Amino acid sequence: MLDEPKTILIVDDEQTLLSALVDKFTREGFVVLSAKDGQEGLDRAFADHPDLILLDIVMPVMDGMAMLANLRKDPWGKNAKVIMLTNLSEVEKVTSQLQGVYDYLVKSDWELKDVVKKVKERLGIKE
Amino acid sequence: MIGKDFDNIFDHASEGILLAEIGSRKFFMGNPAICQMLGYTKEEIEKLGVSDIHPKKDLPYVLDQFKKQAEGKIELSKDLPVKKKDGTVFFADVNASPITIAGKNYVMGFFHDNTERKKMEDKLIAYHKELELKVVQTTQQYKDIEKALLNVMSDLKDSSARNEAILASIGDGLIAVGRDGRIMVMNKMAEELLGWNINKAIGELYNDVVTLEDEKGTFVPFEQRPLTRAITSSTTTTTTTTTTTTSLYLISKNKIKFPVAITVSPIILDNKIIGAVEVFRDITHEKAVDKAKTEFVSLASHQLRTPLSAVSWYTEMLLTGEVGKLNPKQKKYLDEVYSGNKRMVILVNSLLNVSRLELGTFAIEPEPTDMAKVLENTVDEYRKQIDARKIKLSRSFGENIPVIPADPKLLHMIMENILSNAIKYTPEGGKIEISLSLDDKKNILFKVSDTGYGIPKNQQDKIFTKLFRADNVREKDTEGTGLGLYIVKSIIDNSEGKIWFESTEDKGLPAGRHGTTFFVSIPITGMKKKEGTKTLI
Repeated sequence: MLDEPKTILIVDDEQTLLSALVDKFTREGFVVLSAKDGQEGLDRAFADHPDLILLDIVMPVMDGMAMLANLRKDPWGKNAKVIMLTNLSEVEKVTSQLQGVYDYLVKSDWELKDVVKKVKERLGIKE
Repeated sequence: MIGKDFDNIFDHASEGILLAEIGSRKFFMGNPAICQMLGYTKEEIEKLGVSDIHPKKDLPYVLDQFKKQAEGKIELSKDLPVKKKDGTVFFADVNASPITIAGKNYVMGFFHDNTERKKMEDKLIAYHKELELKVVQTTQQYKDIEKALLNVMSDLKDSSARNEAILASIGDGLIAVGRDGRIMVMNKMAEELLGWNINKAIGELYNDVVTLEDEKGTFVPFEQRPLTRAITSSTTTTTTTTTTTTSLYLISKNKIKFPVAITVSPIILDNKIIGAVEVFRDITHEKAVDKAKTEFVSLASHQLRTPLSAVSWYTEMLLTGEVGKLNPKQKKYLDEVYSGNKRMVILVNSLLNVSRLELGTFAIEPEPTDMAKVLENTVDEYRKQIDARKIKLSRSFGENIPVIPADPKLLHMIMENILSNAIKYTPEGGKIEISLSLDDKKNILFKVSDTGYGIPKNQQDKIFTKLFRADNVREKDTEGTGLGLYIVKSIIDNSEGKIWFESTEDKGLPAGRHGTTFFVSIPITGMKKKEGTKTLI
């Protein structure tokens, strides 16, 4: 359990995967917020300023790359910690790097425990 | 006889002289010259007459001439045939006129032997005739030559017209440029694509007519254009849709921008570069198809991965026991689900790589790379599997292995595939040796030997074929996609490296006497950068 609960926002349109992530991170002691598209994600992010955002790419209404671009225009959002979590193979990797996102995880290649590890690493949480 | 002086002239004249009585045409007298001419003696002559010294067939003519001369109507009778005593005939000019001696009327004829002149004349005539014939022949020859020339010219005209028609009808744009950079030739399609009138463009600088930009809209300077390279270094450049270099866009005179595939080659005449010829075509459609294909593969893999991720994550959470303890059977079954799913993930990733290799869209991003380090990392990743199969692993890394420009991810993929094959296809307790060495100072040699099942001799030539799996391992192991070595080979082929193997199939041979050794050789000059839209995974 975490000393000081961190808030993470998970943005994913796939309900099944979103649930798995929400369950896992909740059990790991995070305060978990969720959104099912980029627009909703942006609203939640601006409203709640989560410590980290796990961001999917292919989504309806507003996709992950558009949400990221909008986020970076915001004074808080421009430094927000973001990890891309997608099933697209590195297609948008370079673009996301230009937006200051260096973690680009392919869902099917990553075990949940490793995703958790990565998030903790980025938040400076020692296990 | 007639007078002394006359006798003197008569006897010494070089011309033959005959006097014939007009009425009887009997000779009255002949001089020595005529005797010699005719071959008779003086006495003999005086017994003959006109009819005796001419061929019979010519007599009517001769007598007619004699008559005319006797009447004083003509003097000269040319080319009269004259018959000698021995029967031979010669021609003589006979100048004759009537004369009266002692009341009797005679014709006195002066005979001049024409044989020599006649011969000359005949020769001349023959020569003349020959000349005329020659002139006719030569004229004919000239006429023939003229005709042939006209034919050649008309052929040339035809062929030049044909060449022009061929040039004009080429479905791709074509521009030929001289060494001075000025346009020499341009065809119809080039006119259409560039929006420049042919007549206006010819003689203009290529640079002014053809505007090229790269993908980002940056103007491509003249020095960097394929055409310039063709002229200066005689290199032939081809750019295509899936080219390794950046795509080129052409901007027409009326500012329409479209992607082009270009092939430029130097024009060489008598071993000298006299310019360059550029063939280009609009590849908007190909680009669109290519993009659609790439997007399809990308999206298809995305769609395939989503359910795989769900199975993977939920199974993982069940297996960790975080939502409740599993009994051993449940755990075993879930392990099966998990590993089956994992194989599916690997298969999807491999297929994605294959499609990228085949579309040519994968990138090679070289950076200074220590191959030993990449190999260490790869081995570490497989440590668990090596231990699980109780395989004895030994490694030897040469000391002087230089850091080379290479794409570490691709190197890792190569090593991973070869090492995992060695592990997978070596029975428990077997041996694997890996080594890295500097081979003849030009290449780094990566070598993996195992004491595994080997590759059947009759299938060794198929081992790098897509989806191929050797019979002996298909019996033993149902895993494996048949894509690993195909991918490895494709990567190596694209990065100047080499791959080969030696293998003996395990047919009751003791370990050490069978097994497979794979060799990968990468030049120390490293891999060449290859721009691509996708990286392999």
